[in-house]
Amino acid sequence: MTDELLVVRAQLGERAALAELVARWRMPVWTYVRRMLDAERADDVTQEIWLAVIRGLPRLREPARFAPWLFTIARRSVTDRLRGQYAREHEHAHEALAADDVIVDDPVDAAVDRAELVSLLSGLPMPEREILVLFYLQDLSVEDCAQICEIPAGTVKSRLNRARRLLRAHLEEKGYRP
Amino acid sequence: MTEEPRLSARELIERLEPALSRARRIRAVTALLTGLSGTVFMAALWGGEPGPLPGRTQAMFALLTAVCLAWAGYGGWLLMRRVPLFAADRVIAAWIALAASLVTTAALAVLAVRRGTGLAPVLAAGGLFVATALVLAVRAHARRAALLRRARELARAHPSPPRTHPSEN
Repeated sequence: MTDELLVVRAQLGERAALAELVARWRMPVWTYVRRMLDAERADDVTQEIWLAVIRGLPRLREPARFAPWLFTIARRSVTDRLRGQYAREHEHAHEALAADDVIVDDPVDAAVDRAELVSLLSGLPMPEREILVLFYLQDLSVEDCAQICEIPAGTVKSRLNRARRLLRAHLEEKGYRP
Repeated sequence: MTEEPRLSARELIERLEPALSRARRIRAVTALLTGLSGTVFMAALWGGEPGPLPGRTQAMFALLTAVCLAWAGYGGWLLMRRVPLFAADRVIAAWIALAASLVTTAALAVLAVRRGTGLAPVLAAGGLFVATALVLAVRAHARRAALLRRARELARAHPSPPRTHPSEN
């Protein structure tokens, strides 16, 4: 059953569809939250996110766009918890992006598998970490990432480039050569 | 990475149960409707009293109206912020709202006729409530019908694989 059908059935008031939707998206949401927050806060925030999702679900106008909507809510909850840290790192990243706003294909795409990516993420600044999680771990498109993070698609690409460069630097520090 | 969330899917759904509780939804709709009906009723009684009222009676009417408004506010807050109303709930809530509007209007009309006070303002206010409830009912039915139609389209476009008995595998 597609996500859209599950969402529509949940919006009609079918509890089984809602339960299946939660079961299907529980891990992706938790993975995103856990990559952004420590284990202590991840479970609480995940629960908060699901409460907000359930309360907002009847008003979701485009059931086909459930995933970006879900991660928009998740991001809001995470940034609420990280407000200070996120703002500082966002500022820093913005300055860095202005200097290297060129979009390039990067072989690090192929080199970094998910498990390695996960272990390296904690060393990245918040805006880059967030984009990597959404793009690589959640397989969301650049457009969806842009909608979730409320930034232009071009900024998503620039941020991905910078994140890849930072990842490559981390990998090389650890002696990894693609 | 083998880390797992502490809550299983079942536990997570159990934690979400209060937001999905039918009793809570009924409580929210009831608080909103009785609060609104009560406010209109008290205001009509207060306004329809012949002659100047003593200060204590005025204060009592004001207090009762404020209590009804507070219940309406609580119900509205629950529905806006705490309790989701899914399509089927909205249909039921709209019909309850229509019934409550009709009952309140009828009660106020009877009261107005018995007291010999103006029936027109009562019918105008009641008519407004009834019309609003009717609009809500029509919209709720339309939304539910649209969702049902979309669910059928999606089910046709992506049919579920037929269930097979374990012995067939």
